[in-house]
Formats: sequence, C-alpha cells, structure tokens
Amino acid sequence: MKATIERAKLLRCLSHVQSVVERRNTIPILSNVLIEAAGDGLVRVMATDLDLQVVESLDAVSVDGAGAITVSAHLLFDIARKLPDGSQVSLEAADNRMTVKAGRSRFSLPTLPRDDFPVIVEGDLPTSFELPAKVLAELIDRTRFAISTEETRYYLNGIFLHVADEDTPVLKAAATDGHRLARFTIDRPDGAAGMPDVIVPRKAVAELRKLLEEAGDSNVLIDLSASKVRFTLGGEGGMVLTSKLIDGTFPDYSRVIPTGNDKLLKLDPRSFFQGVDRVATIATEKTRAVKIGLETDKVVLSVTSPDNGTAAEEVPASYSSEPLEIGFNANYLKDILGQIDGDTVELHLADAGAPTLIRQDDSSPALYVLMPMRV
Amino acid sequence: MADPAPLPDDTEEAEGLRKIIHVDMDAFFASVEQRDNPDLRGLPVAVGGAGGRGVVAAASYEARKFGVRSAMPSVTARRKCPDLIFCRPRFDVYRGVSQQIRAIFRDYTPHVEPLSLDEAYLDVTDDLRGIGSATRIAQLIRQRIREDTQLTASAGVSYNKFLAKLASDQNKPDGLCVIRPGEGAAFARGLPIRRFHGVGPRGAEKMARLGIETGADLAAKDIAWLRQHFGSFADYLYRAVRGIDLRPVRANRIRKSLGGERTFGEDLSSGAKLREALDNIIDIVWRRIEEAETRGRTVTLKMKYNDFQITTRARSLPRVVADRAEFTRIAHALLEEQLPLPMPIRLMGVTLSGLEGKQAAAEEASAPQNAQLALF
Repeated sequence: MKATIERAKLLRCLSHVQSVVERRNTIPILSNVLIEAAGDGLVRVMATDLDLQVVESLDAVSVDGAGAITVSAHLLFDIARKLPDGSQVSLEAADNRMTVKAGRSRFSLPTLPRDDFPVIVEGDLPTSFELPAKVLAELIDRTRFAISTEETRYYLNGIFLHVADEDTPVLKAAATDGHRLARFTIDRPDGAAGMPDVIVPRKAVAELRKLLEEAGDSNVLIDLSASKVRFTLGGEGGMVLTSKLIDGTFPDYSRVIPTGNDKLLKLDPRSFFQGVDRVATIATEKTRAVKIGLETDKVVLSVTSPDNGTAAEEVPASYSSEPLEIGFNANYLKDILGQIDGDTVELHLADAGAPTLIRQDDSSPALYVLMPMRV
Repeated sequence: MADPAPLPDDTEEAEGLRKIIHVDMDAFFASVEQRDNPDLRGLPVAVGGAGGRGVVAAASYEARKFGVRSAMPSVTARRKCPDLIFCRPRFDVYRGVSQQIRAIFRDYTPHVEPLSLDEAYLDVTDDLRGIGSATRIAQLIRQRIREDTQLTASAGVSYNKFLAKLASDQNKPDGLCVIRPGEGAAFARGLPIRRFHGVGPRGAEKMARLGIETGADLAAKDIAWLRQHFGSFADYLYRAVRGIDLRPVRANRIRKSLGGERTFGEDLSSGAKLREALDNIIDIVWRRIEEAETRGRTVTLKMKYNDFQITTRARSLPRVVADRAEFTRIAHALLEEQLPLPMPIRLMGVTLSGLEGKQAAAEEASAPQNAQLALF
C-alpha cells in the first residue's frame, strides 16, 4: 500500500477515529487503525473497540499502490498532529512496517496484518430512517447527561430509543440513572414505524455527537436492527459509525413520570441555576444537597454543611401553592437547568419525597424528572 | 524431597529485600480425607462429585500417579484410574483446618494473605519472634502444621511472591525450597513455561508455537515482541522471568467477586457441549465460593467468541444467591437465553459478585447514609 494524503485531512480523520480506540488493550490489534487505500484515490480509515467501529473515507492526493495495513492509532495520530501544517504525508507499507514520510520527517512504525483486524458483522438492519443532524444532536444533548455510569445496571448505560403512537406517531429518546430521567420526543421519522426498542451505548453516543459537529445541516441515515445500529453521515465517502446495542431491557420509565403534581413553580432558569451553584459552594462531597424552600412568589435556596457553615439565597419566582421544603442534589438540578433555553422553567412538585417534573413548558420536546434528596 | 540444609544467617537476604514465604498444603482436601479415614491411606483418592458432571476438586498423590488432576472431569479421572475412590467434599472440616493453619501463621507475622483454604503468602521481613531467618520460620511453621493437624505442607521462601510460590511447588510434597537473592532470574529461566503462574495449557501451547518452552526462551524476547504477542500479559511475563515481582503481601484483601473461567482446547458451539462446560466451571467456582465462606447477589456469565469478542450477561437478585442449585440455575438461564450462539466460543467464565462476606458487611456499615431517593 502506498498513498499520499494532505496532513490536515489525515489529522481530522484520525482525530475522529482514534478516540474509539481504547488506551489499554489486551488484544494488540485493537490499538491499531486500519488504513485501506483503493485505486480510485479513496482512503478508508477504520477503528474499533469490538463494540463500536467508525469508518471514515478521505480523498488522497494520490494512491500509488492499493492495499491495506493496520498501525497504532495513537502513534499515527500523535505524528500527524506534530507534522507541519500544509504538508503532505506519504504512507507506505512494506515488510511488516509502515513508513510515514512528510517533509524531512520519516517514521517507521510496526504494523499488524489487515486480515486480523476485527470488523463488526452488521447483519440485516431492517429499520432505516433519516434525521437532520441538528435534531439528532439536540436529542443527544438533552438526554445524555442522565445516562447511568453504574456498570451493574448496564441496561441504563445508554440512550433508549423507541417509537410510540400518541396523538401522532412519535420517536422518544430517554436516559436515566435511577435518580433523574431525561426524555426527548420528536415526530416519528418516515421509516421508523415498527422499529425495535433499542439502547444505544454511552460510548457510541459520545462518538456520534463528536461526528455530528461536522455534519452541518445534512441528514444522518440511521439503520438498525434489535442488536446493531449504523449511523451514516455525509453520504457516500463520509463517516459511518456502527455500534452494538445494549442487550437488555430498559425499565418502563413512563410510570415514574408524575402526572398529578399540583404545585407549580415557575422561575428564570438562569438565576435559579446561578443561585443553586452559589449556595452549593459550601456543600461537601457527601452532602451535595441543596434545600429549596418554596413560599409565595419566591424560593429560598440553602445549604448547611457541618464543616463549612451555611449559605442561603432568595430567588424571585411565581408560586402560589402552600409552602413546601424539598432537597435536591445540586449537580443534578444544575444539569437539568442547563438544558433549558427559554426564560422560564416549570417545576411540577408533589411533596418532599416524590419525583418532580421539570420542563420549559408543555410544548417543549424535552422533559425531565428529578427525584429529591432527604434533607 | 529432603529439606535443604538450613542457611547460615550471614547469607540471608540483603538489606531492603523482603522475606516472603508461600505455604501450600499438600493435596489438601484429599489428605484431610485420608487423615480422617485410615482405610483410604495409601490409596488413590479424589475429592469431588463422582457423577457424570462432577469434577475432581483435589487428588491424593496416589491418584496423581495415574494422571488424575484437580479440575479434571470425574469421568476422565475414573478412566485414567479405575480404582479411584471418590469422597464428597466436607468444606466445614477443611475450613476448620484452614483456621488452624492460619492461626499458626499469625504467630509469626500479621502479614498473612490467604489465597484459598490451603495456601497463603506470609511476609516475615519483620522478624517478630527474633528467629533470625525466614527459612527457619518456614521450617517451624511446617513442623507445627504437622504436629497440630497431622497434615503436611510445602513451603517456598524467597524475596517476592512470584518466586516464593514457584519455590513451594519445587519440592512437593512435604518439601521446602529457598530461592536466594540473585538466584531468582536463573531459577525462573530454568523452569518449563507451564510453571509460570498465569500460563495455562492453552497459553503454554501458544508459547510453544512461538518457540518458547522454558523461562530462558522467554527471557530472550524483548518487551516489544512480548507485547505484540501477549498484550497486557507481556509486562508481567517480562518481569517474572527476571525474578521481579513487587506485589505486596496484602493481609486484608477485600474480594469484590469470585469466579473462574476456562479456555477450551477446541472452540465450542453445540448446546450440549456448552452446558457441560458450564457445569464444569460451576463446580470449580462453587468450590471457591464455599472456601471463601461468602455469598453474593450477582451471577455473571462471560463468553469469548472465536473472533475474540467478549460478551457478558449478568443477573442480580435482591438477596444473595441461596445455594449451589440456585447459582447453577441462574448461570444456565444466562446461557440458554443466548442460544444458539452466533459463532463458536473459545472461553467461558462464571463469576459471583456483590459479595456479602464479613468484610463487605463491615464496609457497608461505615458508608455514609445516602439520602438520594431513587426513581426505581
């Protein structure tokens, strides 16, 4: 294999794929990227961690020999990063080595044969639909913060996607860690009818979100089965991310979304966020709880720490039900408030031990449920 | 088999070096059975289930002459040794003996790291009783084990855990071996590769294919080459063959999980073969659970396909797994729900986690109260 590629193109491509590669690997070839040069001048770069693979195509300046080889992803990325801007990089594989040349630099890297490089078998992906990249990005942003990191509840380690028939057919994305829940609802795209319920793993979500940064106003093609999902960005010659789905049953989350919470608090999400952030300064790791006292048209935020003293702040609000005191994990509350773009946020409360529903308003596609802390 | 002559004191380990003893009871379960039932003495004895699915948990030295080994399916063992006498394991008795020997260890050092009921590392760098030599301490411990339990133990003495364990294996049974500072690398180089802790039958096969039969062959390879072929295992191999092992003896190791896994001689795919393999692994793992006197809530089944993809399936109960039957049932359910497999597997493992031993309970009590309420 021999190909010459513009450094900027190679670097951008490697920056996309190299984060898929785990830093520590028991199987040596998983540390590598597969580089495949075709006679038509197209070079494909691929990385995998066995659960997730990303393939990206780029135009080479020239391909003088078709072929494929694998080399260390992080080494090649670091080299590309340090090569001078505007240079052309030649990659040539021979005798178990790949020679990287640019300007006056020359590297000889160990390689492993392409035939040993594992490729995810996609199988049949019967469901196929498109979403605008911007919608997919928002869907991820509004939900991913609630994904659980607890390995024992592996079925919560991703974003749950499912279709439902409500007044109109919808596609819903949900994530939860058992303390808070985020749900984002959009119209069901053409082709998504009858799709299986799937859980897209956290790492795939993170890698996809990165790729979406460069997708602009284009559409993303999504093909899936009950066990695999494939996202295609930028059409032919673009970026393709294929991931296994989490094999588990997502809990029936709709039953924890409160419907009868009769105490309505409305206030400015930014001053609420900043107030929570300020009083939480004195909260220790163990007691991240911020106490929220609801009174007529104001909330009083307070934190009491055995080590650091006390803090309090009053935030103007619209509230007319009976007074209530409730505690929340300050970070969880900030995560949700940070998602609200408008000038008002609604909190629907019942009591200090029941889930609180948070949303911008009743037409907002995003909805959040937060469980209180005992304070 | 005889003990080497005691070392003169002035050749003891150099300053700054540790003094580690590895004590390993000889054919422990089988020896206990022979001790308690004189009719069995001198005869080939295996502890374990005799039935179709049973495996040998321990074999007496008489049985080992016929090629009977621990972890071998009982059917195979009987074929190798038709007169083999099977005994049902009596874990209560083994645990009692284990407590006796651990009490002896603690007379000499608080730094005792038990590996199982019949094996432990001791760090005797601080000579509590002023005995003056680690070798002498090892001799005293073996003598007291013989007096108190009428059983024999082998011991290895060296300056790290890796070498101490190799040494205890060297003159088994009823033996003692000392690897002095400066001798570790030479000792490791002279060993067949199979003796290295962590190199199993499949690993040894792979090594043989790569031209590595002995420690010396391994020592000749550079670290880059080892990493290319053995991944994360390379660093351990590289150090071990040079007699280097910096792991401390940890007196109160808290176990988070207990399990076992097996790489098969040939890849498995048929339901019957998989079930049989799972039963064998369960036998071994449940024995470890019994030995550790622990219970757990989560059963995990791991499989590695022949393309090296690894899958794990887990099931947790709200309480601890009650007994072996329940453990077996859950493990089999985890297997059944994946059948038929998309491709053959090369490895299977079963783990019990969410352990609730004495230590885990103590830990839980000291954890801060979690005031966060849960959605579900």
